[in-house]
Amino acid sequence: MGKYRKKVQVVVLLLALVLGGYAIFQTFTSDDDGLVKVGEQAPQFRLANLQGDPVALQDYIGKPVVINFWGSFCEPCIREMPSFESQYQQWKDQGVELLGINLSEDTIAVSTYVKKQGVNYTILRDVDRKTEKRYGLRSYPTTFFVNRDGTLSSVFVGEMKESQIQEHIAQIVQ
Amino acid sequence: MLLPVNTKCECGHQNAVGTVLCEACGKPLEKELLESNEPLEMRYDGVARRSQKANPDLLDKIWNFFSSVKIAIYMIVLTFIGAMLGTIYPQASSFLSNTFDPSVYYPETYGLPGKIYYFLGLHNTYSSWWFIALLVMIGTSLVICSIDRVLPLYRALNKQQIRKHMSFLKRQKATYSAPLAGDAVEWTTQYGQALRKKGYKVTIDETGTALLAEKNRFSRWGPYINHIGLILVLLVLLARSIPGWNVDQYVSIADGDTVPIADTNYYAKSEGFKVELYDNEELPEELQNSGRVKSYKTDIVLYECTENCHDDFERPALTEVHRHTILVNSPLRYKELKLHQFDFNLTPRINAVSPMIVNLETGESYGPFHLTMVEPELNYEAGPYKLELIGKYMDFSINSQGEPITLSNNPNAPAFIFNIKGPGLADNGEVYMYFPLEKDKVRFSQDVINRELSKKIAIKVEGMENVDYSAATTYLNIRIDKAAKYLWVGAFFCMLGLTMGTYWQHRRIWLRIDDGQLTLGAHTNKNWYGLRADVAFALKRCGIELDPKSLDNGGHKG
Amino acid sequence: MNWLQFSSTSLSAAFFLYLFATVFYMVTLAGKKWSKGDPKQHEARWGKIAFVTSTLGLIAHLLFFFTRWIGSGQIPTSNMYEFVTLLGMTIMIAYTIIFFIYKKALLGMFALPLAIIVIAYASVFPSEVQPLIPALQSNWLKIHVTMAALGEAFFAVGFAAGLMYLLRVIDFKDTSKNGKRAQRWLEFTLISIMIVIGFIIAAFGFKGMGYTATFQQENASVSQVGEITTTTSTVEYTMPPIFKPYNSEAVEVQSFLGIQDGLLETPSWFNGVNSGRKLNTVVWSIIVGLLLYGIVRLIIRKPLGAAIHPALEGIDPDDLDEISYRAIVIGFPVFTLGALIFAMIWAEKAWGRFWGWDPKEVWALVTWLYYSAYLHFRLSRGWHGKPSAWLSVIGFVIVLFTLVGVNLLIAGLHSYAGVN
Repeated sequence: MGKYRKKVQVVVLLLALVLGGYAIFQTFTSDDDGLVKVGEQAPQFRLANLQGDPVALQDYIGKPVVINFWGSFCEPCIREMPSFESQYQQWKDQGVELLGINLSEDTIAVSTYVKKQGVNYTILRDVDRKTEKRYGLRSYPTTFFVNRDGTLSSVFVGEMKESQIQEHIAQIVQ
Repeated sequence: MLLPVNTKCECGHQNAVGTVLCEACGKPLEKELLESNEPLEMRYDGVARRSQKANPDLLDKIWNFFSSVKIAIYMIVLTFIGAMLGTIYPQASSFLSNTFDPSVYYPETYGLPGKIYYFLGLHNTYSSWWFIALLVMIGTSLVICSIDRVLPLYRALNKQQIRKHMSFLKRQKATYSAPLAGDAVEWTTQYGQALRKKGYKVTIDETGTALLAEKNRFSRWGPYINHIGLILVLLVLLARSIPGWNVDQYVSIADGDTVPIADTNYYAKSEGFKVELYDNEELPEELQNSGRVKSYKTDIVLYECTENCHDDFERPALTEVHRHTILVNSPLRYKELKLHQFDFNLTPRINAVSPMIVNLETGESYGPFHLTMVEPELNYEAGPYKLELIGKYMDFSINSQGEPITLSNNPNAPAFIFNIKGPGLADNGEVYMYFPLEKDKVRFSQDVINRELSKKIAIKVEGMENVDYSAATTYLNIRIDKAAKYLWVGAFFCMLGLTMGTYWQHRRIWLRIDDGQLTLGAHTNKNWYGLRADVAFALKRCGIELDPKSLDNGGHKG
Repeated sequence: MNWLQFSSTSLSAAFFLYLFATVFYMVTLAGKKWSKGDPKQHEARWGKIAFVTSTLGLIAHLLFFFTRWIGSGQIPTSNMYEFVTLLGMTIMIAYTIIFFIYKKALLGMFALPLAIIVIAYASVFPSEVQPLIPALQSNWLKIHVTMAALGEAFFAVGFAAGLMYLLRVIDFKDTSKNGKRAQRWLEFTLISIMIVIGFIIAAFGFKGMGYTATFQQENASVSQVGEITTTTSTVEYTMPPIFKPYNSEAVEVQSFLGIQDGLLETPSWFNGVNSGRKLNTVVWSIIVGLLLYGIVRLIIRKPLGAAIHPALEGIDPDDLDEISYRAIVIGFPVFTLGALIFAMIWAEKAWGRFWGWDPKEVWALVTWLYYSAYLHFRLSRGWHGKPSAWLSVIGFVIVLFTLVGVNLLIAGLHSYAGVN
């Protein structure tokens, strides 16, 4: 090895440090893909609304968006819908959009509930649970609050009280 | 140490600082070593291992740390002790449910020991930072140990002098010394021939009275090839964390369904899952009627999406690319995708019914009409009846407030609410609730709900051929492992190295005849028994008979 | 007589041939003292007779294996009974190979009893041919299991030689602290072997009596979300209940020595439906084993190790050290290939991943790492002799745990032992 000895030592130890450091670092960060993280771009989707027209998240860039995932089989989702409706009415003039993405149920299930609840905000229909998987959903309901630039401001897992919805919307309106 | 050390041997060869035995003639260089009579330490043939130089700086100290065999052993021991700890309780990764909560499970199931186990992070032993750190250190040690040793070894073995120093020969762990009558050159040649018969490569020097016989040098490289293989294996383990290199997911497919395989462009359709049990005649007495499974199989069709793949609005266009019957030991393999049989569920799932509507007053029945569980039509006509679907519950139940709700999105207890118009019914239609499944009719008292209407009409399914259901659901494990093929390369080198190093031994025999005195020394890295046998065999061929054991000079300790 | 019956007879023949071979080895050894002729000749003659007998036994054992294969239509390596008899066979193969290298008949004195104990242990388990469940329907069953067994067999021979070394070298007249400690550990090892024999005696003894006891146990289990559900299950014992299952009621208990209900209750922290039965079995093994040891000790009036020591005086300890090391070195690549590499290839095919940190896989890795540490230890001078011998003994304990302990104590993907 002779005169190359020092160089070899440095290279080998450096490689060990880098690869090893990467490996150990992985142990601290790897949790199975959970929910989309705050600060990341909210994943794109293009889903049908109740009229059958396509609606994409991209359409709302520049506006604050609230995405609420719900299903008619999810009692807390149904319970919180009036709160969302009320908040929607309060904030819509400031440009806040509210999207209620249904968890891949069929037409009649969705329309029955929407009619029953008297909901006026945009209802979208997820297909094959693709969007919910993309957002990393584990339980329902889960609500995502998206900034004007499309990044995620906050996530709330579970049923929301109206005051909580208000707080979170206040964050994204700024 | 600044004093210059004279490293020129009496044979004329200039050795590097730190050399134990002269690289040329093998004479011990250090005074103490020369004067003692102990068998010689033949590691690396006594060549200077540069990691032993004086005044190590920090870099050298770290290098020496990883180069040490003692440290390596500590790391191996710590690793297997750590691995053992991980088997005390089931690891968190063996639970697949989304709702698994380790902070609750371990203390609840195992009490205090479970709590400690969880607290120490042992429920994730094999992905914990300290375990991975140990593997990293072993990997580093593998690299550094090998570099540090293989080069001096190569140098030592490449250029070997034939005529070795007397003390070198006499202090080998197998040695023989005796007066010899007869022609030295002839004897040497004869000895060489005998050894050639045993597969040795024999070189005789110019005088004709000194000999070096060597066999199986390649086996010395065995451990290093093995180490290269292990390093590759560790690198493969590391590579699995590259995004996309290791996909491990589960998908459940009911008979007849086509589902997307997440993170890929593939869709899989199950054309049926079947369990086959052993007949009683195939089973011994103790296992009769035990429900022992003979085979699990799922017929799968694999599709690839060709258009509209990332759009959720448009339906993706699928083309079939592969078909396979998946058995436990026969996964579906297509390009880098693998689908393995993982689990199953024999709960049937109802997909559609084709009922008749019966006019209970006249006894006539009309239909059938086709009612699907998912996305049913909203309007049906059966004879004079017009049915409008105004409500549906996939999994009907009544909540605590007495209101109808659905428990899930699965057709476990489907209920349909129709507004029916027809003979004998009000003009605006009458509301009727229909439960396709018999058990629900009873459970929710369909007739009571429908009150008077249940006496006028009935909706019933005639015969199982009018029921469309999936008999089973199959659970498949989806795997993409781009690093796996490199693992087999690593494993191959590992085995190659182990085999080379274990089943062959590097043997060398040196011999010199000076004025009628024969001096012989021999060395091997393992299996002295066999080496002594070789030496004795050749001696016997040349007329000297002795017990191989008598050649022993401390070699029994190695 | 059909194939299966023939194979059964073959195994019995092998068993008895091994017994005779053991006796002949003892004659080889002891006879040197009271034989009228030349001790060396006596040793050579009887050594040959013993080796021929053990080889005949091995042939019978191979016959058992292959006729069972033909008779059942599947390779006999799929449940505990079949695997352990396979292990007995591979131990004999390993012994025969080592014998051809070193020609040391005396190794048979320990290797054969080891094979005998292994086969006796196998006989405790149900021996009917059990058709292969889907996971085992693969050619890899043939390759992985047989190679792994062969590798482990060499470790077993290494253990036998290591044990012989310790018996040869540990001085029972030594009164120093170290000396006493070494004697105690050696005696402990021998007692452990007695306990294994105790298990076999207890199992066969009570089976012969047709003993059964049944309990109804209430199990509270915690689901993954923390919900608690209770189920009742029936537990059947084949040995008198010293420890009855936790939280259980006796349904029917045959009387034995006045035991009509569980004497004690298995503590609650023992996990699993069968944990009470396993604990009970272990306790009975210990009792019978210690009883057996006590009787032997009373007869010979000295520690067992001290009694065996003189028998080994004729053998050079360095040879034993070499044999032990060589056996392990030969076995290591075989074990690597069979128990790790082929296992990984098969796991990848069947379960989609070549390594999953399943307890059995982990313990195979532990075994591998242990022996690799052993081999590295041997690179340094000071670790030859006694330390090396102890390591070979501990190593075998780890092998046994991997083979038996994991199946019985830890649940996982590998638990298809066919154990009741």
